[in-house]
Amino acid sequence: MITNLGRALCFLGDIMRHIVCGRIRLGEVLKQMYAQGLQSVIIIMMTSLASGLVLALQGYVAMARFGAKEYISHLVALSLVRELGPVFTALIFSGKAGARITAELGTMNVNDQLLATRTMGVDPIEFLVVPRILACFLVLPILTVISEMVGIAGGYMVGVGEAHIPGPFYINQTIKAIQYVDFFSGFIKSFFFSILIGWVCCYQGFTTKGGSLGVGKFTTKAVAYSYIFIIVSNTILTKIILTFWG
Amino acid sequence: MIKIENLSKTFSGKSVLDNINLEIKEGEILVVLGQSGTGKSVLLKHLIGLLKPDQGAIHINAKDITCLSEKELLKIRSNIGYLFQEGALYDFMNVAENIAFPLHEHTQFSKKIIAQKVTEILEIVDLKGIEKVYPSELSGGMRKRVALARAIILDSKILFCDEPTSGLDPIRSRDISDLIHDASRKLNCTTVITSHDIRNSFRIADRVVLMHGGKITAQGTESELRKSQDPFVKDFLMN
Repeated sequence: MITNLGRALCFLGDIMRHIVCGRIRLGEVLKQMYAQGLQSVIIIMMTSLASGLVLALQGYVAMARFGAKEYISHLVALSLVRELGPVFTALIFSGKAGARITAELGTMNVNDQLLATRTMGVDPIEFLVVPRILACFLVLPILTVISEMVGIAGGYMVGVGEAHIPGPFYINQTIKAIQYVDFFSGFIKSFFFSILIGWVCCYQGFTTKGGSLGVGKFTTKAVAYSYIFIIVSNTILTKIILTFWG
Repeated sequence: MIKIENLSKTFSGKSVLDNINLEIKEGEILVVLGQSGTGKSVLLKHLIGLLKPDQGAIHINAKDITCLSEKELLKIRSNIGYLFQEGALYDFMNVAENIAFPLHEHTQFSKKIIAQKVTEILEIVDLKGIEKVYPSELSGGMRKRVALARAIILDSKILFCDEPTSGLDPIRSRDISDLIHDASRKLNCTTVITSHDIRNSFRIADRVVLMHGGKITAQGTESELRKSQDPFVKDFLMN
């Protein structure tokens, strides 16, 4: 366990060294951004819409008891922007794009393609890992913002359709509710999660062994580890952000 | 050109290479014969620096590669062609992109010249017109020929081939052996091939080395090996 963690940290160190001092293949980064973003955007939008709808429905029931149904927009916007948006998006992203990364690299590993890269005088971390990590880093925050906007739209549908709050008022209240600190406290998390997902999934792919069975096993492991790390690190990050930023 | 001195390697207490000493001359085609699991592929992986030995040295052009860092090895490997048993072509690239990959990485050729070189090498390996095909659509023999094209596209002076005929029918085995032989001669390549295909090995090799239990049991030309009185050599060549 400790040995594995040490190796994984060395792997992360190697990646960072390549990002800072090595060659960045922009073409590969763009290809990966396209693949990762396109693969995840629909499912993320669907989940966010459902989250926004459910938040608003439950919020409406609770708020109506206190005669404060006008504040549904606050509840939906703040919950999504500060917490649910970044976390849900990261979880779905790791299940889709993260699993894809591990399966791709794992298959390449068991088919000797990673070794072949080295025999051709090319560093596989520079060629295959760095573009994937950078793509995660650039795509996940964008997906998070899309997810938050769609979730807020879901809340708007319930607020206007079910709670009969006037549309312009709902929008106005939402804009008022979200302050810079609310938005950025969630947005920063998505950058952190992107590195975490990229690191865990690339490492699992890179260490895959055992043929096609191994690819399945390591892909499942990568997604499970990503989920655990996202949820645990989110708790720590939330505490840190609340302590220093409010 | 390549000199192996006292090379030993152990995996989990099991000796896979046991004090190997071998010298390979410039332009020579050497075939390392032996049963499965005798350390042939491990030897080849040491020659290209993918594995570090427990002891011993490997000199390539008078440079001991066992002491080099991965970064230095990457530079040396760019001058060596390596043909993997299953080809190890990139699934996400088509044939032309796979073959052109080393050219893009290590030369300054324009896209037009690279495309021209790819077409030429595909003609040499008798696979004209499959530039846009993906590796998953190729047969085992075609994949190996594409992989050979990728291995020799940089006109490397050293070529390593790991079991190039395994899994192929006798005709395809002969064809790929001939291709390796012709390419080696044309480029004046120092070539090391691991194999258990006795007939094709003797057809193309200048010298054959027979390995057993991590050691070199015998070496020489076909006639020299056929005369050997060693029971293992006799048994192996008979079967």
